[in-house]
Amino acid sequence: MTRMEPSPDPTPRRPGERIKARRGVLGTIGYEVLDVLQIMGEAASLFFATLSGVRVTGRTRERTMAQLVRVGVDTLPLAFLVSLFVGMVLVIQTAEQLERYTQEIIGSIVGLAMTKELGPVIMGFLVAGRVGSAVAAEIGSMRVYDEINALKTMDIDPVRFLAVPRFLAMTLALPMLVLYADVVGITGGAIVVALDPAIKISVSQYLTNLNQWINTTDVFVGLIKATTFGMIVAVISSAFGLRTAGGAEGVARSTTAAVVWSFVLIIVFDYLIVRATLVLL
Amino acid sequence: MTARGVAIRISGLRKSYRGTDVLRGIDLQIEPGETLVIVGGSGEGKSVLLRHLAGLEQPDAGAVRLDDLDLSEYLAMPPNRKPFRIAMVFQGAALLNSLTVAENVALRLREHEHRSEAELSRTVSDCLAQVDMAGTEGQLPGDLSGGMRKRVAIARALAADPQVVLHDEPTADLDPILTQQIGELINRIHDTHRATQVVVTHNLALAEEVGNRIAVLQRGRIVELLPADALGHSTNPYTQAFVKAASLRT
Repeated sequence: MTRMEPSPDPTPRRPGERIKARRGVLGTIGYEVLDVLQIMGEAASLFFATLSGVRVTGRTRERTMAQLVRVGVDTLPLAFLVSLFVGMVLVIQTAEQLERYTQEIIGSIVGLAMTKELGPVIMGFLVAGRVGSAVAAEIGSMRVYDEINALKTMDIDPVRFLAVPRFLAMTLALPMLVLYADVVGITGGAIVVALDPAIKISVSQYLTNLNQWINTTDVFVGLIKATTFGMIVAVISSAFGLRTAGGAEGVARSTTAAVVWSFVLIIVFDYLIVRATLVLL
Repeated sequence: MTARGVAIRISGLRKSYRGTDVLRGIDLQIEPGETLVIVGGSGEGKSVLLRHLAGLEQPDAGAVRLDDLDLSEYLAMPPNRKPFRIAMVFQGAALLNSLTVAENVALRLREHEHRSEAELSRTVSDCLAQVDMAGTEGQLPGDLSGGMRKRVAIARALAADPQVVLHDEPTADLDPILTQQIGELINRIHDTHRATQVVVTHNLALAEEVGNRIAVLQRGRIVELLPADALGHSTNPYTQAFVKAASLRT
């Protein structure tokens, strides 16, 4: 009796299904816990499979470039709008709170908030919502319509063909988007400083204060976050796409789950990176 | 295109999903270059059996051998070291929607073989011409009808110059004329490529048209294996019922 090689893709399996079938409270909790552990396991396994599948070949480069356009270039207009208004809102809110003290520190507050926190997190959310959902839906549809099986019968590894270019593109594009968002957000703040009569400082004071307080370490921390968030969105959206089952409804479920899980993990890793950088830097 | 089919030997193949037995001990020998058609009702395990032959499913027990090679050994080999190639034509064609027809047909070659663009283009044109789809190279799968998509999927299979071609419900959702065209294509692969073919269908007219032999699958077991022209003379009650029901439909 000979066993065949296991299929390399993470076929949806629900280890807790029998528990859930009992429909008790503990059973349901157990099922959910097992399901979460399984999702995390699949994502971790895909992460390592993706890392080991990275090859700098012409074909990978072509596919990665196509994804870079989709993740980076196509996101620029939306990233501009979001970052501009975040910077503007930050200045208005901060100025109001500081009215009784001094508004001279608005520049540093906006700068630090954008580079270390809001830039990476908001761009992470934006890419998760705009690109991560599309990736989960695309790979999910490919799974439902046997396209992934077709790749396997052509001896093409779906992880290398689909997940690796998206992983590289998101990991490279998010830091660029964050730098862009930092600049646009700070510019948005400067516009409000220039135009809003309630703000008593000049644009020059705003920028001088910002320059005094922001150093390369702050920008570096933001870029570490951006790189991590790019990896998270790529792996989670690909993992949910690859575990899709159940037709159009399954694709919709995977897409929603990919976005929700990306948001949750971005926040969790944001906290972990902040803790780590407080210790290390 | 000098492919010669390989022999397929299936022994004791079993598979169950969540406690339900789908394949309950399949034993089958398919000769090199033969076209074997597997017929049976919906949910009898036909497609599951075919997916095992493509290596897309893992059996609970049993084995598949291709010539002298176990399927698991075959699957573990690097693509360019494999002694022969298996191609599968899926029920819904399974073309990659983001790629053009030409890119779909050339996909396997582009990934595994170092060929010039001119060579690739020649192979793609040749394969598309074989399925009467010449001139569609630049179109996207979404722009094609179901029958055209199916023919492009056959062209994609042929581009690999395969020794084994697996067809899953090749005429599902196709009208009688397209069904006849697909049947002619399967016969052409038999005559010109001499590939071993396994066709899963519940279209008995197609089965008789393309098959050398027909295997009747019922509840995960082969209940009858007979020459294609003997289907109407079967004494097996299930086969008789199936043939009768099929004739009522037409």
